[in-house]
Amino acid sequence: MSVMSAGTEVRPSRWRASLGRLAAGTALLTAVAMLPWLSGNDPALTVLRARSADQNPTPEQLAAVREQLGLDEGPFAHLAHWLGGLPRGEAGTSWVSGEAVLPQVTGAFAVSFTLMLGALVVTIAVAALVSARTVYLGSRRRLHRGRGVIGVAVLAALPKFLLASLLATVCGVWLGWFPSSGWAGPASMVLPALALGVPSGAMIGGLLDQSLPAAFNEPWARTWHAYGYAPGRVARHALRRALAGVLPQLLPTVVALVGGAVAVEKIFNIPGLGRLALDAAIAQDLPPLQTATLALILLGVVAGLLIQALRRALLGPALRDGALPALHAPAASRGRFTRWAAVACALALLALVTTGLLRDPLHVDTAARLLPPSAAHPLGTDALGRDLLARLGHGALRTVGVALVVTAVCVLAGLLLGMAAQVGAGLTEVVSTMPAVLAGLLTTAVTGPSAWGAALAVCLVGWTPYAAQAAALLEQERASGHMLASLSFGAGPGYLLRYHLLPAVLPPVLRNALLRLPTTVLVLASLGFLGLGEQPPTAEWGRLLSENQPYVELAPWTVLGPACALVLLSVLAVSGTDAAAVRSPASVRKSRRSSGRGAQAQGGVSAGRTERRSAARRSPAA
Amino acid sequence: MRTTSRGLILTLALTPLLAGCFVSGAEGSGSDTQGGSAGRLRVALARPPVQALSPYSDDATLLGKLSVVEGLTALDKNGAAAPALAKSWKQVNPTTWTFELRKASFQDGTPVTADAVVNALDHADAATPKPRVLSDVTLTAKAQDADTVTISTKAADPVLPLRLASPVLAILSAKAYAKDGTASAIGTGTGPFKVTKLIGKSKASLDRYDGYWGGKAKAPGIDVTWIADGTARANALRGGDVDIAEWIPTAQAKLLDAKTRHEVPSVRTDSLILNTGNGIFTDPTLRAAAREAVDGSALVDSIFGGYADPAQGLFGPAVSWAADKRVDATGRAKAATPAQVRSKTKGKVLRLAAYTNRAELPETATVLQQQLEKAGFTVKQDVREYTQMEADLLAGKYDALVMSRVVLLDTGDAVAYLASDYTSNGVYNIARLKDAKVDQAVKAAAEEGDVTKRQQKIMAAEAEILRTDAVVPLVHEKVVQGIATDVEGVLLDPRERSLIDVDTHLK
Repeated sequence: MSVMSAGTEVRPSRWRASLGRLAAGTALLTAVAMLPWLSGNDPALTVLRARSADQNPTPEQLAAVREQLGLDEGPFAHLAHWLGGLPRGEAGTSWVSGEAVLPQVTGAFAVSFTLMLGALVVTIAVAALVSARTVYLGSRRRLHRGRGVIGVAVLAALPKFLLASLLATVCGVWLGWFPSSGWAGPASMVLPALALGVPSGAMIGGLLDQSLPAAFNEPWARTWHAYGYAPGRVARHALRRALAGVLPQLLPTVVALVGGAVAVEKIFNIPGLGRLALDAAIAQDLPPLQTATLALILLGVVAGLLIQALRRALLGPALRDGALPALHAPAASRGRFTRWAAVACALALLALVTTGLLRDPLHVDTAARLLPPSAAHPLGTDALGRDLLARLGHGALRTVGVALVVTAVCVLAGLLLGMAAQVGAGLTEVVSTMPAVLAGLLTTAVTGPSAWGAALAVCLVGWTPYAAQAAALLEQERASGHMLASLSFGAGPGYLLRYHLLPAVLPPVLRNALLRLPTTVLVLASLGFLGLGEQPPTAEWGRLLSENQPYVELAPWTVLGPACALVLLSVLAVSGTDAAAVRSPASVRKSRRSSGRGAQAQGGVSAGRTERRSAARRSPAA
Repeated sequence: MRTTSRGLILTLALTPLLAGCFVSGAEGSGSDTQGGSAGRLRVALARPPVQALSPYSDDATLLGKLSVVEGLTALDKNGAAAPALAKSWKQVNPTTWTFELRKASFQDGTPVTADAVVNALDHADAATPKPRVLSDVTLTAKAQDADTVTISTKAADPVLPLRLASPVLAILSAKAYAKDGTASAIGTGTGPFKVTKLIGKSKASLDRYDGYWGGKAKAPGIDVTWIADGTARANALRGGDVDIAEWIPTAQAKLLDAKTRHEVPSVRTDSLILNTGNGIFTDPTLRAAAREAVDGSALVDSIFGGYADPAQGLFGPAVSWAADKRVDATGRAKAATPAQVRSKTKGKVLRLAAYTNRAELPETATVLQQQLEKAGFTVKQDVREYTQMEADLLAGKYDALVMSRVVLLDTGDAVAYLASDYTSNGVYNIARLKDAKVDQAVKAAAEEGDVTKRQQKIMAAEAEILRTDAVVPLVHEKVVQGIATDVEGVLLDPRERSLIDVDTHLK
């Protein structure tokens, strides 16, 4: 592990990063090219079905398709042929429609990209709203208490497809403010951008809000405030400081929406890239699938480089010169409210699960269909007359268990790859724009339908936010003065990891992971149609939401229960860990704080651990 | 500050990129087709074009629905052949027919001649893969004179006029056929509407073709939007974005205004297919137990929200002649009692498959699971996307499948369905049924030329198939079409082959 400052090894690191990108991109494209051969699903059959659903799959017909497409040549000949066409600006013709692929993909990409930009605007707005209080109070040095995180957790837990359905119905059909579907002009962009941007904004805002107090707590901010600098100026610099750590999250959270917004694209009938790639993947129509994958890879790399450049611009030479203090949150009390919220959520969930477990989640009663909440069915019944409370209760353990395991694996993988900074960066960029469905298809191709397949597929792509975050935080941490000091005192990598790197990285990454917990639940369920995950009628929260989605308007309680359960889980996870962190601050941080104070008092170094002294009194780029 | 100005430059650099994307995005989705001249019909269809409006794919149905193309014949209400481009026909001998063409012209201005018809039919016959409607017949077309076409088949084909009504065998002008064997119906059909623009898989615009032989269409044109999601289709109609929305899902139908909701019995039957080839359902008494356990009528008012009829057999009310000619299935195996089921299955699990493409099927599977468990079976579901499981289905990896099937395929004749799904050499025989009596009954129906007798034999074959308990019909689906109150003359076709014709218009 390199702990040198970034500046001294810019060239080799760029080399390695490009190598990582190239390797990851090639591996991904090859995997996609092998898909039909791996899956054992005859592409001739899937293509025939896509062209003509009622066509009889006679051996002669299949042979005709196979010959037409040259399937017998095998995957590599196809890949080579497709790659050969790219320099000439040709991406082949679709196996299903026989039309040129490139115009289709570029058209869909433009649509999805525009939508993503819309979502980005909403994300920024929501994130600004979420962190506005902290910025205002922090810049005036009145941030004595941490703010509640409940609002953030609630917004981040909102399922995007549910939000989309809701917006389409309420603002599209009932009020008629915006078109309920289509892609005809700027007006039709509003609702989908909101559906995509609000949860993302809450997530980004939540992370930003968490790192802001640390920025305001830095000595330079205190000094500036004492000098009487305007709060706006302090706020601007604190934002620059905190944004640098949050920016990389935009890649897997917002940029990934270009390929990963299939559900919302369907609901609003947007001819985007996600749907194109999904349709192509289902039909095993390789040329469009490969081209879409390539477009997403390139997007990931370009966006990754752009974000990196932005970060560098924000942090300025401090990062390069190893003169950057890492952000460490002050132990501001989160307030009693947060603790109470955690307790209330825990109790509510416990009550939900225990009462639910006493009921039968599988009993179908078609006569008791879509009943509103009543004494007999406290949360109502679903389209098959099953008790929703029972289904929620029985699904809780499995849902939360699987989501937590997946999150843990993803966090671990993210940390490891985040530490392998240069190679990891390339890989992160390439994978973070990949839709989970693609990972799901690759997983089914290899393992076949299985209960653990969904978890595996999500693990394959779910680590990217944590890797991006860990890499960004580590880069800052490595550039900090105390690391250099530790090094010069002869600290080994193990020591650095234990006492400097992990304490700096783990808390924000965990917070990120917990904010993403509801999303993980939903993504896991979204792969059900590939035969991944538990099969119905097993109760599972994500499935409850997706199977009841068509009834949003007719019987809102069918989705209200599961959505509230997800929100409760999210609030519990986020505020619970916050409360726990406040009550028992990590010993490391405590000792650092005390030693930090000591160091400032003595103006020196104590016990092999320097404090962030030398650089601490300047703003990152001032 | 330096960094701020850098940010400013970056933003400025991004702005044209942004604008560019949006413009191209708007172009790509064809905003210009909106708000055309008054009276144009706005239609939301479910299945987007798969092969750029080639008649040799599923797009054929869509071309027929929008009256873009015509065949030599058409189907009337009762499913009999009616004149279209051919004004009359006669059977010269069992394998030869002559068709008299009417005076008509293609949308590119060229006249419909016998040579053009022969050219079109030859291309359909040569298409790869071979269109399904021609899969069990070899036909040769010859121009006898300028407006007479002779069509001869290798073996006698009693349903040739029905076959020719299929939109797959639409007659297109010579311009439509490319050298590589593909065909495109854009501007080359003979129907009252002409496709002027197709934008990917999202939109198309059609204009009235003034030279149509049957007179000018009442609507000046059609703007088609493809909306794959059923809820979005319903929303588009409710929000007033479209005038006609096809296939409203049952979960959304109740939300539509009653005046805009039109239900049509469909030729789709949902049934439970039992695998007779391997697994637990090789035992006829277990199949009989499953048949007795399963109650399709419980689905009608629940899952289908009333938009279905309880199953009477393989053929439902949409096949108008079926009810009168129905033969009771006799000689069925005696059902095993729950205790017997338990001992006979020996703890083996019933693998119940359903596919997600139609929302009702997974729900049905869950209801059936409970019904079957009451009868003593242990059930495990496998629910996936259809293409993900088709190979497994055909390989017999499941014991039972909940399936939605069109019983009158493109020939409009029921024999094709029975032959492919239930005969020993049927290519879509998911029940893996091998029963000599069934084979014989289907063969007898296939060879019958007389319409009434053919229908009787089809119903006899149905009884034979039901006797084996290889299939348990559950419900006959109904289709809900959403039609705004100011639209007149929309065709409610059980075969889902027609929707808009010359008379459809806005009030």
